[in-house]
Amino acid sequence: MKRRSFVTSALSVAFLGGNASVALAQVARGTAPLPSFGTTGDPEGVLVVIQMGGGNDGLNTVVPYADDNYHRYRPGIALAPEQVLKLDDRIGFNPALKGLDELYKQGKVAVVQGVGYPNPNRSHFEATQIWETASPDRPQQYGWLGRYLDRRYPTGSKTPSLFEAVSLGDALPAALVASHVEVPAIGALGAFGYNAGRDLAVKQSAGVLYDGAKAGQSPYLAMIAQTARDAYHGGDVLRAQTAAFTNQATYPANGFAQQLALAAKLIGSSAGSKIVFVSIGSFDTHAGQRAQQDRLLGYMGDGLLAFYADLAAHGLDRKVMTMTFSEFGRRVAQNASNGTDHGTAMPLFVIGGGVKGGIYGDHPSLTDLDHGDLKFSTDFRSVYATVIERWLGRDPGPVLGAAYPSLAFV
Amino acid sequence: MPHTIDTSTDPQVGYRPPGSLDAASALQPYDGRFGPRQAAHLLRRAGFGGSADDVARLASLQTRDAVDTLLHPTAPDLDFPAYPAADVLYDPKRARAAVQSAWLDRMLRSNRPLVEKMALFWHGHFATAIGKVPPQYMAAQINLFRAQGLGRFPALLGAVTRDPAMLIWLDNRYNAKAHPNENYAREVMELFALGLGNYTEDDVQESARAFTGWTIDKNGRAAFVPARHDDGSKTFLGTSGPFGTGDVIAIIVSQPVHQRFIVRKLLEFFVYSDPEPELVEATAQVYALSGFDIAKTVGTILRSNVFYSTRAYRALPKSPIEFAIGTLRYLGVSAVPPNLVYQLARMGQEPLNPPSVKGWDGGPAWINTSTLLARFNFVNGLVAQTAPGKNGQPAIAAPNANPDTLIGRVGMNAAKVAAALVSGAVQDDVTSDVRATLVGYLNNVTPTAAMTNPLPFGPENYQDKIRGALALTLNLPVNQLD
Repeated sequence: MKRRSFVTSALSVAFLGGNASVALAQVARGTAPLPSFGTTGDPEGVLVVIQMGGGNDGLNTVVPYADDNYHRYRPGIALAPEQVLKLDDRIGFNPALKGLDELYKQGKVAVVQGVGYPNPNRSHFEATQIWETASPDRPQQYGWLGRYLDRRYPTGSKTPSLFEAVSLGDALPAALVASHVEVPAIGALGAFGYNAGRDLAVKQSAGVLYDGAKAGQSPYLAMIAQTARDAYHGGDVLRAQTAAFTNQATYPANGFAQQLALAAKLIGSSAGSKIVFVSIGSFDTHAGQRAQQDRLLGYMGDGLLAFYADLAAHGLDRKVMTMTFSEFGRRVAQNASNGTDHGTAMPLFVIGGGVKGGIYGDHPSLTDLDHGDLKFSTDFRSVYATVIERWLGRDPGPVLGAAYPSLAFV
Repeated sequence: MPHTIDTSTDPQVGYRPPGSLDAASALQPYDGRFGPRQAAHLLRRAGFGGSADDVARLASLQTRDAVDTLLHPTAPDLDFPAYPAADVLYDPKRARAAVQSAWLDRMLRSNRPLVEKMALFWHGHFATAIGKVPPQYMAAQINLFRAQGLGRFPALLGAVTRDPAMLIWLDNRYNAKAHPNENYAREVMELFALGLGNYTEDDVQESARAFTGWTIDKNGRAAFVPARHDDGSKTFLGTSGPFGTGDVIAIIVSQPVHQRFIVRKLLEFFVYSDPEPELVEATAQVYALSGFDIAKTVGTILRSNVFYSTRAYRALPKSPIEFAIGTLRYLGVSAVPPNLVYQLARMGQEPLNPPSVKGWDGGPAWINTSTLLARFNFVNGLVAQTAPGKNGQPAIAAPNANPDTLIGRVGMNAAKVAAALVSGAVQDDVTSDVRATLVGYLNNVTPTAAMTNPLPFGPENYQDKIRGALALTLNLPVNQLD
């Protein structure tokens, strides 16, 4: 399982001697598949998913500034009408989202209003599982993207690239847990690789041991030896594949923006990533919300602006769709410590040159509430179904287990 | 002899092909050779491995006595506190890491490794996660597995039903006559005791009614509130009565499907991943006849022919915890490294944080490029830290990684050093070219490209070279297998 011929062919050249990294780069260029998204009419786009961890407050993200109820519910944290970046005569972006606002004016941002699901869960842990496995009623072993990958690449068929789907971060999110497709978690380019410290001979000998590892008759030894070869060479292959790609935008100096810079490299180089999962945390703003949420939204908007400038410079901005999600929105009324507690529906963003920008759905009512919480109007699985069907070009039914109406943002 | 390890040919042990199980003798006590390979195999499966001395000590015993030292230890364990200190346990910033590290510390240092191994087994079985459950309850649940993990299954399942961590995890604290919550009952059926296909939706609903009444009192203890309990008649798996928790458990364990379900999981954990139906059936009979006694069932398995068969040997991918704790025990490290929880998460198994109520997939799913790199880099970093840092950082004490001790034993000889390493770490389960590569590494002749230190193995470089060869040995593919 998980055999990847390009790694094997890479190593046989690399260890003939000479400069291993040059050999690897040449082999990688020659044998690794090029990204297939250049084909006109190909419905298979690249998807970047941004997790806004902690539960992002939707009402201070897409602000119903003209609604008196909004100001009444939130005397300490409401944004004044003159502060917001107006989208129409009722709603506007939090001013920290000026980068996103710029993309919106370019027609590249769809705002999907009131996203949620029936009987919302307010536990971070469980709500995150629900969003990532697309399963509110029952825990699922595999994530929604993992199930998509498993069906896209059935047992025995290889993904075109070892980095077909990647998570940028130390752990694999539930969304990308798959039954047999391997999804690497890459914290940073430098950290993804065999680290033998300063003794070069250890690293070289390890390569000899893994390349020569005999399968034996153990049912698992062959698989482990093959994975050891992939792991050992994978970091070098990744660095060689991404070396030719230079970011063409200046990204802000925060971890989230740097993840997006790496995402651009993975997508635009011969690594050819098609699904990239990025996360930004600390939206759990129970107290002192304004300063914290505004800072994080600033990271998001500015990072995305740089990301799409970078992609556009490489001719890729129409090929890459980015969608955001958070495990829940927050309550309509603020609490006593100028924060908000766990709530329900929220807006999410779908971004990209191939996206039909605009506002989808009505802003949730601030008078027709469910025990102080917003009522959802769009099931999040409709967003997933739209992405799978219209962007990744596959039937969403088997992935989601049921049919959900498509949205018009693509 | 189908049930002995074949050491006469290639030491890369041959495996008995599936399907040739001799069901009549599979669970009979093994009376073949009990040498270092068998002792190390037993110590890995029924514990977390050990040093070369630990293996030699066990190998000096008969099979039955070796199993008894693990199953019925006589010496008292070290003095481990049941919980981290209260100021840590109730500090939200520190509690999680403290509870996780405390358990890893017990796995590393306990002289009752099978008790900790069973706790790990039940943690994967009754998979409860610290994301939803506060740390003090998670610590209490592991204490429960430690105390009852080798007891009788009905008592264990009863205790788990009353366990506050489980009452929180699967919401049974909200399961009351007026508003039943089926979450716990469903998982008891599907994951804990029967398995999919062996019950109906009606059985889930009826047993959920029987599990009503449990809640958590203001002191954080489980409490049964009769007013919340539904004492009406239920029909469960074909019998009817005003059942409560104990009745439902008694009905479950009497089912042959339950007996096969639970022993299959034990066989998959201790023997191999796809036990034959005949082996499952024979083990289920042992389990039922013992009165659902886990220690007796596990003891039968650990003494059996099938446990020492070639098919069972090196047949299971090590879990990250087995790999990491096994490495630390082998090296003689006596304290859990401060970042071990983080490293285990990178390897795919953060303790007390299984990915879902189904636990970890385990088996081949442990192994992918990211998790294997995390294992390699854990070993490389750990072995490097057994030497003092260049900037004066103190070394991690690891007596069994001491190059001078090894040289004192085998002499300044690359071939003998390589032989000692593959014998100690992987019981010689390597082909001759692996030894040759290690010798070449020690003598700086193996790879062709630039050398950091071109001298052959000798007094000038033996310390660095032995540590390098040790890391290479521990990172061999065969050492990823239990």
